[in-house]
Amino acid sequence: MNASTWLDHDWQLLHAAPQAPTLHMALDEVLTDEVAAGRRPPTLRVWEWAGPAVVIGRFQSLRNEVDAHGAARHGIEVVRRISGGGAMFIEPGNTITYSIYAPLTMVAGMSFQDAYAHMDAWVIEALHALGIDARYQPLNDITAPAGKIAGAAQARRGGAVLHHVTMAYDIDAAKMMQVLRIGREKLSDKGIASAAKRVDPLRSQTGLPREAVIARMVDTFRQRHGLRDDTLRAGELARAEALAASKFADPAWTAVVP
Amino acid sequence: MDGAPADPAHAHVRRFGESNAMHGEYKVPGGKLVVVDAEVRDGRLAVVQVSGDFFLEPPEALDAINAALEGQPAAAGEAALAAAVRAALQADVAMYGFSPEAVAVAVRRALA
Repeated sequence: MNASTWLDHDWQLLHAAPQAPTLHMALDEVLTDEVAAGRRPPTLRVWEWAGPAVVIGRFQSLRNEVDAHGAARHGIEVVRRISGGGAMFIEPGNTITYSIYAPLTMVAGMSFQDAYAHMDAWVIEALHALGIDARYQPLNDITAPAGKIAGAAQARRGGAVLHHVTMAYDIDAAKMMQVLRIGREKLSDKGIASAAKRVDPLRSQTGLPREAVIARMVDTFRQRHGLRDDTLRAGELARAEALAASKFADPAWTAVVP
Repeated sequence: MDGAPADPAHAHVRRFGESNAMHGEYKVPGGKLVVVDAEVRDGRLAVVQVSGDFFLEPPEALDAINAALEGQPAAAGEAALAAAVRAALQADVAMYGFSPEAVAVAVRRALA
């Protein structure tokens, strides 16, 4: 397979108003397939959340990972994404999530480890510009001296790779612990070194509002790789809405690994 | 996979009130968590479910891993379990953060 670099592509930015968790799951599948088919140029999508959610990885056990009563008590929707990796606890404004939909040529010949670091090199630069001494920590984390900042996941579909990342901006750790079943050995993986009340590396280490952090990240991407503002095409949104309803809202999918 | 030190907190956890439901976990050093839920029926593994925060391409390969473990003798050792998992995987399968050996460790912990 031929290799391609960031600058070989005409990058598009999607940053829409808040959307439902199931629609976010579906957009990742649809947009990855659109890029794979060559119908959409490679794209960076910044997520805004319309409601709270737990997002579990493709291979995680629903009952092992999620406290169903805790989630129901807090009105939190449980969805499963198409990529592997660990569970995320989302409340609007508590994280920064983005997806990159790229041709597989971007990671051609790379090890998985190198492919993860490659797709987030611009984020490391953006965090440095924000004063955070961030680095990539294999296999799939971004960390700073004070602890974990973000976790990434990739999924390859056809001729494209989906690379998406959730970064902790200001997470209510106590609520997260009531919703996720996190064993003691996994606590450090969620950025919790002790009995912290909040996991807020981006808020506390930048002193900036979430929107300003996102703006800085987008600026960095634009300067490094070029980036055009774009919107979802009507057909993309229609397909994603249909898929959200038929697949990602289906309890059978959420419990595909029970 | 080397014989990493056991994690006694998770080596043997019975869940959900099912007397024969077995649960084992193994965090791969430098990798991801592998979880096995299974039962033993007539001395063999049954209703095997491998899960975790690992990465696997294509995702349907998880079904092949579960199927490879189904019916294995409960007395099977790590090497035999790992070989069974490896033999069930097509050449195009990619595992990231775990391995057939890691699955075997989680199975043995479930059965311990």
